[in-house]
Amino acid sequence: MLNVTKLNRKRKKTDNATWRESGAPHWLKSDKDKGRRHGGAGRLRTLPTASVGAMGADGGSEAAPATPWRKVLYERQPFPDNYVDSRFLEELRRNVGVRRYRYCAVAREAGLVAQQVSCVAAVLTLWSYMAQGRLSPFMLLGASLLCALLGYVLYEALGGPRGSERTRWADLQSAAIFLAFTFGFSPILKTLTESVSTDTVYAMSAVMLLAHLVSFPYAQPSPPGSLSLNAALFGSVCLASRLPGALHAFAMLTCALLVFALWPCLLHRLRNRAPWTFPWAAVLLSLAAVTGLATLSLGGALLLVLALLALTLLCPLLLLRLQRHKDNIHGPWDEAEIHEDLSRFLH
Amino acid sequence: MVLKIFFPQCCNRADSGLLVGRWVPGFDSVVVLAVIHYPFIPGQVKKYLSEMQSAIQLELTVLGSWSMPKDGQEGMDSFLKDLSTIFPQGRWLQLSRELGKRGFACDDEKEKVIFIHYDQRKVMLSHLHPAHGQEPAAEGVSELRLVFQTVAQSQPLFFLDKYDDGPIKLTHWQSEGREASILVELIKQASVPMCLVLTWLLSLWTQLRILNMWPVRFVSSKLSTCVQLSHRTEHLQTISSPRRAQQHADFMRKANIFVSFLVDIALGLLLISWLYRENRIGRLANTLVPVADHVAKELQELLQWLMGAPAGLKMNRALDQVLGRFFLYHIHLWISYIHLLSPFIEMILWYVGLSACLGLTFALSVVSDIVALLTFHIYCFYVYGARIYCLKIYGLSSLWRLFRGKKWNVLRQRVDSCSYDLDQLFIGTLLFTILLFLLPTTALYYLVFTLLRLGVVLLQGFIHLMIDIINSFPLFAGGLRLFRPYRLAEGVKFKVLCEEPGMSLHLMMEINPLKLSTAVQQYRIPTYSCYPKDSWAALCKKLFVGDLIYPWTPLHKGSKED
Repeated sequence: MLNVTKLNRKRKKTDNATWRESGAPHWLKSDKDKGRRHGGAGRLRTLPTASVGAMGADGGSEAAPATPWRKVLYERQPFPDNYVDSRFLEELRRNVGVRRYRYCAVAREAGLVAQQVSCVAAVLTLWSYMAQGRLSPFMLLGASLLCALLGYVLYEALGGPRGSERTRWADLQSAAIFLAFTFGFSPILKTLTESVSTDTVYAMSAVMLLAHLVSFPYAQPSPPGSLSLNAALFGSVCLASRLPGALHAFAMLTCALLVFALWPCLLHRLRNRAPWTFPWAAVLLSLAAVTGLATLSLGGALLLVLALLALTLLCPLLLLRLQRHKDNIHGPWDEAEIHEDLSRFLH
Repeated sequence: MVLKIFFPQCCNRADSGLLVGRWVPGFDSVVVLAVIHYPFIPGQVKKYLSEMQSAIQLELTVLGSWSMPKDGQEGMDSFLKDLSTIFPQGRWLQLSRELGKRGFACDDEKEKVIFIHYDQRKVMLSHLHPAHGQEPAAEGVSELRLVFQTVAQSQPLFFLDKYDDGPIKLTHWQSEGREASILVELIKQASVPMCLVLTWLLSLWTQLRILNMWPVRFVSSKLSTCVQLSHRTEHLQTISSPRRAQQHADFMRKANIFVSFLVDIALGLLLISWLYRENRIGRLANTLVPVADHVAKELQELLQWLMGAPAGLKMNRALDQVLGRFFLYHIHLWISYIHLLSPFIEMILWYVGLSACLGLTFALSVVSDIVALLTFHIYCFYVYGARIYCLKIYGLSSLWRLFRGKKWNVLRQRVDSCSYDLDQLFIGTLLFTILLFLLPTTALYYLVFTLLRLGVVLLQGFIHLMIDIINSFPLFAGGLRLFRPYRLAEGVKFKVLCEEPGMSLHLMMEINPLKLSTAVQQYRIPTYSCYPKDSWAALCKKLFVGDLIYPWTPLHKGSKED
């Protein structure tokens, strides 16, 4: 642990130096750095002739006046109109608010994206099994309901602020509404895309699931984002309408609802309450998805593995490597940010 | 300043005497209305003039003297000059004419004089319309208008003709004797009691309480026959009011309504005489039921085509079957109904055809109503299809907003973002998917039935256009313009009669009649039909969204369609 911290400190110093050296433009190098290190925002400085020669129209012909240049417009000063002082842009700060990422943390967070991709893959696998008739809808239905029950128990066990919004009775009502509506609409859903060609259906589902992955609120998955959930459900309805029976469609939709709507809430609670379980859950899910896909097609499984590895291991590395090219400038011209807590004005 | 003397043409050859007329107030002109001949007693003249003045409500005065000396009547001049002392007035005109010469002379050295000759009868009968583009109420009091008014109001002055044995002998346009015909007198005598009878009958009719009850009123507002009936009742009430029309516009309106009514009835009787010969009613009734059957069969075939794969489009089979069977059942009901009625159709048609004696417009309204009744099922289908489509479009647009996570803010009339509950999102997405995939089927049914409905409405609209033309065309005004053009005057034109140096200028005033198109436009009888308020763009938008388009119903405040 000690070594790690020393390593971190050294890295910080070198990082600072790298940024400073690589970032500053050539004409601001020498004096500016000195000025900054000594905090020279308000100091009086005499006019170095070298700087004037670099930019002024008449280099060297001006004698250094007694009064220094001030940054005011309401007084007449003995400087020419295009005079640029040496204190120009001395309040420029570079990359002030930049975060220093740690690889492990980023990789951990990227696990969420990988987990979502594997969810989608799992749903597709289940659909494929049902379409081929290898999975009976009753089994899927039973399994989904069991998982839902287990998940609910886990959710309650993890505790946390219940809030007055949702009681158990309201949850039961929601579940009843879901099941009733899905069961009622399943005959309609079965014949919905009969007249649409298979290619169109597949293309639509692919686009919708992609939209779901792109618009998923990874930062705050608990209230599910409208567009992501709707896109996922639309895609699963399109796929469910290709299944052979009404009960198949019902089972598929229940499973999709479970995976896309209820699982992120549970995951969010897991992450908040028991953070150490989160990586294990993600890894377990990815493994399950890969193995499921492998039973269908090895090529697909290979692609999935590659995608997951790229997401989890490669992309964080890329993010960290690209941080060195960051070049944000800050200064007194930025918009004001309020750091106070203004909620005291509400009460 | 120039003095304008309006001189009637009939007095050009009058014997010497006194000029009677009116000084036009505010202008430097005078209108001569008649000439009183010798011998006369000044006191009687004055009494007569004051009687006339109270009857006419105009300031009639003795204007001056007129001398056209015949043989043996020389030496009148001094006599005429003395007359000016007997009749006190502001100015005294002394006009004289010599036999054989064309021009007059006016012994007034103060100013120049222009003689404007006018045809008294025509000016009396004509009505001067305001100039083109002017509002009738904003017409200024112009000189010409005053002249016309003077002559028109002086009708009682022209009742004395040369056969009257009174103390006064006048010369004016009617002094050769008034024309009268027995027929006109009889009609005039009979019209008053007839008007009273008609008014009484109409009051009985309008007082029928049963006609104001809601179901009858609703049905009668939909049937164009009843609307036409009420329209004609109003017309009859206008005609049969026993008061004479005071204003020219009222008179023209009454006359137009009367003439168009008569022409309508004549055409209707003509139609009846043609229709009831050679058993045409029977033949018509016999073709009506097969026509209705044919229409129903065509519709059934159309629905079968829609239930298959119409034009290669792929419809949702289940919904297709449901809608198709629903509409087919309706058609089946309709055909049974028609077949039930078929024995009675001939009798119904016979009695209904008799109503054409009330006018051709009635016959056309009956035709329009029959068309509406025969195609009632098309109307029903259109309403069903439009309602389903409208609901679907509304639901889709609302659910599309839910799909994106937005909501319609009714208060601010804009789209806001909204965080929905899980169950709302789920059910919303499910419904959105279902509605989206069922849209092509519904849209096709809606399109087909809307086109059918538009066809029927076009036909009905054409019939209504005919009815409207017959109702509103002012035949009397048109006839008047063609055969008596001087009665509708737009202005006057002047022709130079005699321009000799040393003599006054003589002009002939001729009446410029109103243009036929202006006459027709001005005297149009107002009808009950409204013109479409929607532009084409608004109509297309209504069709796209699925709002109902209402047909040619007169009392409806909604949108109309051509």
